[in-house]
Amino acid sequence: MDYTKQIQDIAGRLFSENKIDVFIGYRNTGFDENQVPVLINQYKDVDQLLFTDKSVFNLANYLKYEHTRNKRVGLVVKGCDSRALNLMLTEKQVKRENLYVVGIACKGVVDETGEMAQNCIECVMPDAVIFDEMLGTPSGRREYQENADVRELDGKTLTERQEYFEEVFESCIRCNACRHSCPLCYCAKCCIDQETATLFQGANTTSSAFHALMTWSLHLAGRCVDCRNCEKACPSHLPLHLLHKQNEKVIYGNFQEHLAGMIEEDRGAFYKYSLSDPDDFIM
Amino acid sequence: METEVKEKIVSIEKPHLEAPADWQPVIMGILCNWCSYAGSDLTGTSRLQYPPNIRIIRVPCSSRVDPWFIIKSLQASADGVLISGCHPGDCHYISGNYYARRRFLVTKKLLNFVGFHENRVQFSWVSAAEGPKFAKVVSKVTEDIKKLGPLHLYKKENI
Amino acid sequence: MARVGVFVCFCGANIADFVDVPAVVEEAKKIKEVKYAIDYKYMCSDPGQGMIRDAIVAHRLTSIVVAACSPRMHEKTFRKALSDAGMNPYLLEVANIREHSSWVHQKDKKAATEKSSDLIRMAVAKSIANEQLHEISVPVTKRALVIGGGIAGIQAALDIADARIPVVLVEKSPSIGGKMAQLDETFPTLDCSQCILTPKMVDVASHPYIELLPYSEVLELDGYVGNYKVKIKRKASYVNFDTCTGCGACWQKCPVKVPNEFNMGIDKRKAIYSPFPQAVPNKPVIDAEHCTMLLKGKCGICAKVCEKGSIDYAMQDEIIEREIGAVVVATGYDLWDPKPYEEYGVGRYKDIITSLEFERMVSASGPTGGVPLRPSDGKIPKSVVFIKCVGSRDEAKGIEYCSKICCMYTAKHAILLHHKVHDSHAYIFYMDIRAAGKGYEEFVKRAQVETGATYLRGRVSKIYQKGEKLMVRGEDAQIGQVVEVEADLVVLATAVYPYKDNPELARLLGISYDKYGFLSEAHPKLRPVETAKAGIFLAGCTQAPKDIPETVAQASATAAKVCGLFSGDTILKDPMISKVNTDYCSGCQNCVTVCPYQAIVTEEIPLGHGSKEIRTVAKINEGVCQGCGSCVAICRSMAIDLAGFTDMQIINEIVSI
Repeated sequence: MDYTKQIQDIAGRLFSENKIDVFIGYRNTGFDENQVPVLINQYKDVDQLLFTDKSVFNLANYLKYEHTRNKRVGLVVKGCDSRALNLMLTEKQVKRENLYVVGIACKGVVDETGEMAQNCIECVMPDAVIFDEMLGTPSGRREYQENADVRELDGKTLTERQEYFEEVFESCIRCNACRHSCPLCYCAKCCIDQETATLFQGANTTSSAFHALMTWSLHLAGRCVDCRNCEKACPSHLPLHLLHKQNEKVIYGNFQEHLAGMIEEDRGAFYKYSLSDPDDFIM
Repeated sequence: METEVKEKIVSIEKPHLEAPADWQPVIMGILCNWCSYAGSDLTGTSRLQYPPNIRIIRVPCSSRVDPWFIIKSLQASADGVLISGCHPGDCHYISGNYYARRRFLVTKKLLNFVGFHENRVQFSWVSAAEGPKFAKVVSKVTEDIKKLGPLHLYKKENI
Repeated sequence: MARVGVFVCFCGANIADFVDVPAVVEEAKKIKEVKYAIDYKYMCSDPGQGMIRDAIVAHRLTSIVVAACSPRMHEKTFRKALSDAGMNPYLLEVANIREHSSWVHQKDKKAATEKSSDLIRMAVAKSIANEQLHEISVPVTKRALVIGGGIAGIQAALDIADARIPVVLVEKSPSIGGKMAQLDETFPTLDCSQCILTPKMVDVASHPYIELLPYSEVLELDGYVGNYKVKIKRKASYVNFDTCTGCGACWQKCPVKVPNEFNMGIDKRKAIYSPFPQAVPNKPVIDAEHCTMLLKGKCGICAKVCEKGSIDYAMQDEIIEREIGAVVVATGYDLWDPKPYEEYGVGRYKDIITSLEFERMVSASGPTGGVPLRPSDGKIPKSVVFIKCVGSRDEAKGIEYCSKICCMYTAKHAILLHHKVHDSHAYIFYMDIRAAGKGYEEFVKRAQVETGATYLRGRVSKIYQKGEKLMVRGEDAQIGQVVEVEADLVVLATAVYPYKDNPELARLLGISYDKYGFLSEAHPKLRPVETAKAGIFLAGCTQAPKDIPETVAQASATAAKVCGLFSGDTILKDPMISKVNTDYCSGCQNCVTVCPYQAIVTEEIPLGHGSKEIRTVAKINEGVCQGCGSCVAICRSMAIDLAGFTDMQIINEIVSI
């Protein structure tokens, strides 16, 4: 999977036709094989752009910052990224008319070991669901599969899960990198930082991490698109996807096979209901 | 409010450790005003007896219950949480309990996933006419929590 | 620094017997913010309230906790005590130590005492976060909408208009009058229905405060009490009412004949018609489903004969909007369709008619000139069987409820029959005679004595044809025998059933209805006129079966409610509603999605202080918000909070024990 040439051409065209102010893409780190996001502001820089199976980050995240607000933006989105973008559009965080979306029919990106990443193996929608131009041949929607790690943990005893997560929450340093890297965490002021939430807890304890991560994952329940930007950003290497995938599993299994961001104007599973939703867990 | 916030992790004991002999659980009950709170009032008016461990908070509707309240309760002194609202179709505010029901299911499953016993957080629909049901529900939840013992996970104490 | 006062009630022995009240007071005094705590026998009594008032002043208290019965009981009482002491009433919290403690833990005084202390601790913690709230004053549009122009709607409209409040009266048919206009005489006084109704109809048409919209339907209702906006469809009548004089030349010449609804299809009307001679307004409309000019473009006779040129075949439906402050729903009733009674031969035998058909026949202005005639052969019937409770009180085939008016109008029919056909005889099959009402029992007696009608207690099991006659077989339970009556005509007292479009109307108005389609009152005993939605009231059979005096009384009651609502320029509303902190709002509009009342709109504000760029944030419509808190719980950035049940208040409660 290498769309470097096409993306450089598209970005070049958009700049020369004066259709965009900024193009968000990927470039080489400059010191290893890995890539980082880059915001290109002018025609002469487009040759920095590249796209391969190392283009791991979700670029929709950069639409929530000052640099792109109310500007005409071109950006590259894979299947998962495009679902996040879909939600950002539905939640009125960006204007569609300001965007030029280069969709990718994604074949999967790699993880740190160079193997195909888990979220790509389990991906339900590799093709961009929203785009102005599509690169590659769409392979279509795939069958939903439960996350392997969630399944493994589910098979363990309650005490084992409890011990496992105690370690997870204990390792969290409350740096909030997960939040900053998530395209759907765009709130002007996060609830976790507000007086009401912080009054009764300090900055960095296991309990406060439990509170912060649980609340965060519940705010993303029915919205998380499994791009794993948060996990890539986490300095403690926490398996944050476990919380999201667990919620996704429950939502998919109980609420009409709902998956986040697949269609326009879908705000997520918590913003609608069905009369036939499960009721047997309630006395 | 001038609250000095001092914190410490109370304990990292596992919940299955034995409780002190005189231990009584604390159960946080969050009830909607129109059905369950009225139902709990009826329980009182009817002099139906139930265990004294529940501490009741009144909210207008079960849809007012942010899952965050459950997490906060578990961090605070609660050993268990009971949330109760109007039966489906009876919501005073038309659709509140339907939205709440979705959040409750996901929250309950997530808490169980990270190590809380599924009986720690329970839900019920109690109408304004169901005084006896409220007594029964509280008795059951109290019994369940007593069996589980004190909750030590992720506790905080403010002084 | 918060200074909380705690007032613990004994409630006589109700609390004191099962909770150690003095110990609870001592425990409360240990809470840092509590500056004053005391107990008393009855806090709700005048001296009890006096203690609260005095302590507020003497101890400079900033919030009050009353530990007593349920807040659902006396919250208002204690709020008033705070007000009287010059304190904001919403700085009160009630700890429910009676229903939630003393009454439910009567065998464990120690535990009940501990629990009561905890409940007080929670209430104190919550009260510290209480804010001063002020009732919201909402402006009122002093104009009422009345839906339905039967006697209920007419009475409500006249009473409201007489109080000099403008009324918009919407009627779906071409004339007001409703079912009462179809009646001949009315029980229990036998005064002519039209004689007492038509003057009121004329009053409606000429009243300076009533805007009469006949041939119209309500399409949409937006807004909230005092500030509704209604969309009304004026159906095309194809007649210019402004120039039409109602001379009648058009309908005399119209060649198309259509079954006449007003006369229950017994005779025909024309395609251009005015439903009955005393119609108000007395202007014809063209029935577009039958007019050949509108259907095929041929004819045009009515336009030719109209001297005023009032016929306009190109007329379109018109949508109009009105701003109103209150609604009276008076859509009346339909007759229940007796089709399920196959054993009666409904639909098979022509000489079985409904009570309203009988009513039209005996009406002097009716299709038969006031004489009942057999539909089969036009002969005057001599033996007439009346069957009551057709549909009513029949769980198997009909409906469970009693239609309430059938006993009385059937007695009336027996009298009317006797008046019109002197040598006739009436047989009345009944289950019970329900004649509760002023002069009602006397009226039934009069019918029995004056007409010699045979009252047979029992149900009819079968009706069959024998020659020209109908044989009615039934049980006479009083002699325990099966009887058979030879009848020329059978009249079914079919049940009163809700107006068929009630469910749809209820949905568009946002009010509820029961399983039959009757619109639901807010409380069956204490609020029989209001609906659960503020500013919408019910009059007449739209709520339940009623006779005319009851309907008129309820209609006048709605008028009193509307006048009360409009007595000031503003309405006061509970301040416990949502509010948006625009600094935190990210404009995702999820709150707009979940609000059950469409109370959240969006507004554009500057991006930052003095910025020219704008951003969109949520805005609560204070008049519409009912304070459920749905939006608060789904707001991820906690930009919305619910006054009275703020996040801070609830978290305070949670962490206080």
